[in-house]
Amino acid sequence: MTGFSTNAIHGIHSRRDIHGALRPPVYDSVAFEHNSAEDINQVFSGRKPAHAYSRITNPTVEEFENRIRLLSGGIAAIAVSSGMAAISNIILTLGGSGTNIVTSRHLFGNSLSLFEKTLKPWGLEARLVSMSYPQEVSSAIDNNTRGVFLETVTNPQLEVADIRAISEITAAKGIPLILDNTVTTPYLFRSKNFGANIEVLSSTKYISGGATSVGGLIIDNGNFNWNQSPRLADWAKQMGPMALLGALRREVYRNIGACLAPHHAYLHSLGLETMSLRIEKSCSNALSVARFLKQHDRVHAVNYPGLEESAYHKIAAKQFSNRFGGILTFTLQSRDECFALINSLKLIRRASNVNDNKTLILHPASTIFCEYTEEDLEKMGIGLNMIRLSVGIEDIDDILNDLERGFASL
Amino acid sequence: MQLTVNGESNEIHEIEVNLSKLLEMRKVESPEMVAVQLNGEFVDLKSYDTTYLKPGDDVEFLFFMGGGSR
Repeated sequence: MTGFSTNAIHGIHSRRDIHGALRPPVYDSVAFEHNSAEDINQVFSGRKPAHAYSRITNPTVEEFENRIRLLSGGIAAIAVSSGMAAISNIILTLGGSGTNIVTSRHLFGNSLSLFEKTLKPWGLEARLVSMSYPQEVSSAIDNNTRGVFLETVTNPQLEVADIRAISEITAAKGIPLILDNTVTTPYLFRSKNFGANIEVLSSTKYISGGATSVGGLIIDNGNFNWNQSPRLADWAKQMGPMALLGALRREVYRNIGACLAPHHAYLHSLGLETMSLRIEKSCSNALSVARFLKQHDRVHAVNYPGLEESAYHKIAAKQFSNRFGGILTFTLQSRDECFALINSLKLIRRASNVNDNKTLILHPASTIFCEYTEEDLEKMGIGLNMIRLSVGIEDIDDILNDLERGFASL
Repeated sequence: MQLTVNGESNEIHEIEVNLSKLLEMRKVESPEMVAVQLNGEFVDLKSYDTTYLKPGDDVEFLFFMGGGSR
């Protein structure tokens, strides 16, 4: 059995390129031609394996999906146009009017907004609980629950739930567990081994090669009986374990139209080849930055699961094989001081993204959470004096020097 | 034996053919990415090796490409 990096580089052996190209070409074509009317009818009815139209499938996107399938251990992967598209597709496939999703009250701002603002008028209820207390998840589930959704590491609170404990609850109740694995990826966290049923990711982050292009992924781990999911029971009769893939590919994903562009799929496949190296470097740099900030007299508190004093250190070490991701937060005296530090930096970039190759800094309350009131922010654990740092893969001394220079200017 | 595969009549000369063999004969590259129905019933991937076909069977291979509906 070959290892993660080998699989990321070589992928699933597919047919040989006509010119013997080691890197498959980009099939940047919208439509694909067929020999006869009968042929194209067979393709459209799913009886012949061929591409027809790139909103539905495309050879370059398929190649990327196959690599992800191999790396995650899932039975199917669908690439979409962004991480938010992945979440939207999966919720629209499982839920509906009069149903609910149990999720964390500490979610990425746009995910929370999707649940509470965009989908609420369509009759979907988001039940917000603390994932740090699995009993809250159990109590919130009822007959109308269609899924439990959480992030491996919440952003920017950096909480790490005990995924196995939550998956035992969802399995007992016959509810699919949907996990956003963006900041850990299948390299740090193989969700299938911890009982998660569906994985969604923003492949824009680590996977794309460090923010080269926007994309997302849905992975079916193949460990849920879709007969138990009311919206998918009919699909399950025809397709068994492939019911989710069928419902997405042949209905929801096809109809929503949030497909990944072939060029982005090419960049993502390229990014996968070096992902393990970049993740190792980013995790190692983040730990060094966290230790540096912890001893700095201008810093009130540092939040990073890699620090032993973090309440999530033990569970993160167990789940992510002693790597703790590239994101950390820290607090200063005030919002103004946060702004002053951010403005003083020369190397670290002021930008809203995570797991880029570059180290990025952001004030969450005034950016990705700017649509929420101060009262909401407090409930979500977003302080006005909090700074988020996504640590990149630069030389560690240069990152630390930039921060030290910034603090000296305050 | 005579089989119907994806709506078309097929003459198979081998005496013993299971679903795995039929997928191989049809040159299906990723059998794990195909949903198979035998006489209208879904067949689990784990049973392909032990599911032997008999004359008159109706086999449907459903690929998740192309883009039609169910």
